[in-house]
Order: sequence, then C-alpha cells, then structure tokens
Amino acid sequence: MNDDRAPGKFTQSKLDRCISCGYCLPACPTYQLTGEEQSSPRGRITLMRALQDGRLPFSDEGAQEQASFCLGCRACEPVCPAGVEYGVLIEEWRDITWRGTKRPLIIKALFQMVRAPWRVRVMSALSPIAANRKSRSDVHLALGCFERRLFPQVSKAVAQLAPEVAIDSSQGCCGALHAHNGDLEGGKELAKQLGEKLPGTILSTAGGCAAHLSSVLGSERVKEFSQWWQVLNRPLSPIMKNGRPIRIGLQDSCHLRNGMGVFKEPRKILQQLGEYIEVPNAQGCCGAAGSYSLLRSRDSKRVIAPKVVAIKELNLDYLVSVNPGCTRQLKTALRKARVKTKVLHIAELIALAP
Amino acid sequence: MADSQLAQALRSLLGADRVLDDPAAREAYSRDATPLFKGLPEVIVTPHSTAEVSEVVKFARRTKTPIIARGAGSNLCAATVPLNGGIVVSMMQMKEILEVSRNEMLAVVQPGVSTQQLDDAVAKEGLMYVPDPGSKTVSTLGGNVATSAGGLRGLKYGTTKNYILGLEAVLGTGEVIRTGGRLVKDVAGYDITRLLIGSEGTLAIFTEITTVLSPRPKASKYGVAYFNNLADASVAVDSIVASGILPATLEFLDNTCIKAVEDFAHLGLDNNAGALLLFGDDGSAESVEKAVTAMADISSSARGVRAVTLAPDVAAADALLYARRCSLPALARLGSMSILEDISVPRPQLSRAAEAIEQIGEKYSLLIGTFGHAGDGNLHPTIVINKDDADEVARAERSLSDIFNLALDLGGTITGEHGVGSAKLPYLRQKLGDVSLALHRNIKSVFDPDGILNPGRVGS
Repeated sequence: MNDDRAPGKFTQSKLDRCISCGYCLPACPTYQLTGEEQSSPRGRITLMRALQDGRLPFSDEGAQEQASFCLGCRACEPVCPAGVEYGVLIEEWRDITWRGTKRPLIIKALFQMVRAPWRVRVMSALSPIAANRKSRSDVHLALGCFERRLFPQVSKAVAQLAPEVAIDSSQGCCGALHAHNGDLEGGKELAKQLGEKLPGTILSTAGGCAAHLSSVLGSERVKEFSQWWQVLNRPLSPIMKNGRPIRIGLQDSCHLRNGMGVFKEPRKILQQLGEYIEVPNAQGCCGAAGSYSLLRSRDSKRVIAPKVVAIKELNLDYLVSVNPGCTRQLKTALRKARVKTKVLHIAELIALAP
Repeated sequence: MADSQLAQALRSLLGADRVLDDPAAREAYSRDATPLFKGLPEVIVTPHSTAEVSEVVKFARRTKTPIIARGAGSNLCAATVPLNGGIVVSMMQMKEILEVSRNEMLAVVQPGVSTQQLDDAVAKEGLMYVPDPGSKTVSTLGGNVATSAGGLRGLKYGTTKNYILGLEAVLGTGEVIRTGGRLVKDVAGYDITRLLIGSEGTLAIFTEITTVLSPRPKASKYGVAYFNNLADASVAVDSIVASGILPATLEFLDNTCIKAVEDFAHLGLDNNAGALLLFGDDGSAESVEKAVTAMADISSSARGVRAVTLAPDVAAADALLYARRCSLPALARLGSMSILEDISVPRPQLSRAAEAIEQIGEKYSLLIGTFGHAGDGNLHPTIVINKDDADEVARAERSLSDIFNLALDLGGTITGEHGVGSAKLPYLRQKLGDVSLALHRNIKSVFDPDGILNPGRVGS
C-alpha cells in the first residue's frame, strides 16, 4: 500500500496530479459512448475528489455506477500530459467500494475459481495445454488462468516456437483479476507468489497478466510474448494464401499498450508475416476489459460495435490479439456479425509461418 | 424553483434522456479546467438540436434560471463553472460536421465538434482549419468561438475571430438568429458575428458555426535558439519580425520551464540556458527554407545567444513542438496547484514584461515559470504553488494583481486568448474603464433581457 494512502481513501498525491485539462476526454471509450463528463477520466477524478473530501458518500449510486462503467483500459494515461496514474486510482476506487460483500457476484465466483493453483488446474483439466517441461534457460511461461482454459493452443504454440521456455502447469493465478476488481492486496500477493514459483524471466501471452505482473515484480522480470520474441530477432517468412501474403490486422491489448508501452513489437512481427493493415482505432479498447464483458455485457457490446464495422471493411484474413480476453471478445463479435476474419493469438500466427 | 422540480420540468419538456441531476453528474459538471473555481449546477441538459436549445433557454427565461453553455470544459478562465447554480447546457451531443466545401473553402459544423476532429476531416481534402489552441484535441468549436481561442500561430495566421464566417445562435430570449453566412464580403448591418465571438456564453448559445478553411501548407521546418534569458530572446524575436519575416511559430520558454520539460520529457534540451526560442514556418518548401535560415541567422548574431540549431527531420521538429506544448503540465508537476496566466503586451515590450515577471516572482517568493507566444506578445506566466499552504496561495493571489498591472502599464491586456470568465473578471474594469463596461452591460441586456445567460460574467 502507498505511503500516503489512508485506509478507505485514495492516494492523495495521485489525485492531486490531475490538472483537469480534459485531454483525456477524446481517448476515453465510455466518454465516447455518452458524451457525459461523469463518464470521462477527468469527471471520474472529480468524483473521486468529492468522495475523498466527503462531499459524496462512497455509497452514492451515480458514483458507484461510474466506478463500474469504466473499462479500466487506461487509454487516458498515454494522453495525459500531467502523468496521472488513472489505472491505480480506478483500482483504489474499486478496492474501496467493492470491499467485503459489495463485490459483484460474478467477480466473487471468478475469485473462487482461481483461489488456489489446484483450482486453476481443475478448471482447465479438459483443455490440452502444452506439456510440462524443464529448461536450462531462466524463462518460464506464465499460463493465464482463463487462457489455459479457453485457448490451450496458445501455450502449445509457444512451446513449439521456443523450446528454451520452461513450462510448469502447477502455477496459480497472477492476481490481475483481483487487482482490477477491487482486491489490491490479494492481487499483489498472488503476483508475488507467482514470482516465487517461476524464477527468472516470466513470459506471458496475456497483455493483462503481463502488465499486472510487471507492476508488482518489475519490468525487468516480466516480458509479454511479442516483446520477448521481437528481441530474439528470429527471421520470419510471410504466410501465403491463394498465392498472396495474408492480410493481417492487430487489436492492441489495453494494459499492454497503455500500462507497459508495448505496441510497436507485435506490429513489427506482423509486418514480416504478411500484409499488415492497421485497424482503425486498434489502440482503443475492444470492450472485453477482463471481467467487464461478463459484468456489463451490454456496454461491452456497445464498445466493440464500431470496431466490428471497421474490421469488416478491411477484409482481413487474420485479426491478431495479444490477450485472451480480447480474443474471446473479438471471436464472439465477429462471428455474430458473420465476418470471416479469423482471430488468433500472435504466437499461433507465428507458428503458422512456413 | 426547487431543484427536483427544475429537473422534472425539464424532463417533461425535453424527455428524460436529455436531463441529468443526480449528485455525481452535478459534481462532475461543477468544474472546468480552471483551478480554484467550483460551483454545483442544479441540472445538466444535453440538447440534440437547435430547437431543443431554444426550448431550454425559453424555459430558463420563464423560470429566471441561470444557464451556462458548455463544450469540453477545457477553458482556463472559469467561464463555464456554474457559480450561481442553474442549468448547464452541454453541447457535446451536437457534434456533426455538417459540410466541408472545397470550392468555397469553408466548413459548417455543430458546436460540439472538436478542433482536432474538424482539422482531421478537412485534411482529407488538403485543407486546414487554422486556429490551433493548445487544447485542440479536446476543445470544441463552440468553445473556441466563445473564447476566440488563440494558439501557436497567432502572429502569421491570427486567431479564431479571423476564421468564423457565420453563426447560428440562440439568444437569451430563446429566439434563433443567423449571423454572417458563407460570404467573404458582407457588410449588411452590424457585424454581429464578430460581437458574438469571445462573448463567453453571455450573449447567445451557438448552435451552428461556419468556418473559413485554408490550403494545407506543403512543408514546415523548425529550429531552436538558446539565450541567456527571456529578455534576450524577446529582443531576437523583435529583430526577426522587424526584418520582414512573418513566421508561423515564435515560441519561448524560460529556464524554469526548460528544466521542468527536460525532467519530464527528456528531449535533450539545454538545461542551463536562460531561455529557449522555438522558431519555425510553414508554406512552400522554398519559402520555409528561406524563412527558417534567416531566423537562424538573426538569432545567431543576437544579444545573449548561446546556441542555434535546426531540427534535421520531422521527428526532431515534433519533439521541439512537444517541448513547448507540454510546458504547462511539466510545470504542474512541480507543485499541487498551478495558476496559469495569459497576459499579452505589444511585442516591443516583451523583454520588459519578461524581466518584470521575474521580479514579481522574487518579490512574493513564488516559483513562476514563463512560456508563451513570443511572436504575438502573449505570455503565460505560471505560478506553481502548494494548494495546502494558505500563505503561499495568498501571495500567489497578490502577485496576480501585480502581473495584470504590469500588462496594463505596458499597453497590454489581462488576457490574450483564454478569456475573462470568472477568473479575470475582477480586473476587467481596470482594462476597459467605466464607459466600456456600461456599454458591455447595455449590449448584454439587448441580447439577454433577463440576464440568464452565464450570469455574473462579462456584461453582467
């Protein structure tokens, strides 16, 4: 916990940093939906200040709605000239308001599913992930809890591409889920436990997990897959389809881009694999936002709707994702809209290269 | 009328989805980008059309309720803080670009369109919307017109007032007027358009704006010169303009700003220099080269110069522009509150103004960083304070009065481009005098007989 953070309060110095200039407004997906100040980052910070000073009670319905409506995508951070750590503030807000019994039921259920490493294993028991193996290198693969359950092929692709990476399926959750849903201490504790379980470099195929682990364990120890792969500089050949290079687009992972500053790396890789086409607003949240798509399914769909229209127009063969939540969100939305573009994790696409 | 009654009445008038009055929404609309000012509105309405704006104004007139039009709320003079409560009319749902005409070189937009959005849209046609306030990514055209927003290229291109052809607006009576139009020449009647520009929501609420567009320049180039102090940089600026060059960019920062920017952005600026002058021009490749070379030459032989370099590529030029644009936030990191001022003086007085501001900082023991648009004489002395230090806040407030007096003594003004709002209202009489203030009041009463439009500000 921060030095100047009193229990049940925000870190005052982080609130003070905002100069209310409003530069965050155009970057905020929820502000784009409503055009209303209270659903902008600046507006939410004004609310946090009112909560901090006691002008509004934490139980205020409108304020609670805004704490929940925020995607937590942190798109406001790179555009903030004053360096406000909005991501930390929104996590503190949820930490205060969702404490104890007030946490949404879905989140409580998710917390239970990943509470211990054995539970994570049970959840993904039927998903054939990559086999355990030791390695002389110090690179260990972090197996995202929900990724191993939903997209077991991602860890397999990494295992195939990088024989030097060690894999140990007895690991637990990284705690990103907890940190984003109002359990900051729990989130930090789980990250530390994973840091002890996986010594050396922790390699993550999930942007959300990578950013959380990096915030607790430091950016030296934690690498997201595209970030790590790009440094290896292994030559890649274009993937061909009907005698032409495939058309590829990318959806950024919000926390990977806005939290870790990683967005050039996946693009550099994709440019070698085919004809890379920048999806309009690729940096904008797809609406998955971790558990948000479950908690606020209607808003999640409103956020992704314009993206689906844009992707459809591009006639892509593949849309690449760097985070399992985004993969799931994009797959579902594109299928419903009958868009033929396939959604894959970047490791899966690299594995397809000749 | 009691709060809930007010909201109820507005809901039945406009529909429930156009009205907000929950405590969180009211809190969120209690501020704009100005520190120290705050006031809770009773209700916020979000009209989608001119007719709805007119309905709201008529309603406010019937009920004698203050009405404050608001765009993105990025103004720096507390022009949109509802200090008297009342109705905030958020124009952010009226955000369509209605027309871009290439052969007439104009655009017709709704007031909630952002400056950047308009410039991006016309860039596709090879055109440019010229005014570029520092907040262009967020500020709206409605807000630009309401404050006659300036920006970084005022010297060569002028400000918002030079780029508005016509307006549709709702008067304080609820009546809708159209002023100007699509014509370059039109002298039929008073220039009501020009009167409404910069009126800060006190005369009418804009619902449609016709803007002039320009061809997009083909090339641009920038350079930087370091000086021993702002006064020396100011003298160089004077020599540049006197030599017959009218460049797009002549911006400067003092040592406090250079250090703050360098700490924040690590651009490789000279931390020891007393002042940084950023110069640049746009236009044809040939004319740009000529102007920038000439400015570099003049700077090189100017008094107190330390070094002059030209930006070798676009990235280097962008870094320099970024250094200028991030001055305020970089300064803001030095304390928990920063008060940004906006005086303007005749350019030949710039060096005296810069020296005097430094002395004012010493007199009140305050950290003042100064940056500004040297080319047009517009200075932004920024006082960085600890908001919890009551004595420092008091000293800062006293120093403001010195800064405004200084500007007026030098034949300048209390605000060059930010507006009067509530922040500079106490100093307006000193600038305008009694006769002009009375005229302002009389003009306002014609447009707004019941005094409901942004009451307590200019003209009230």
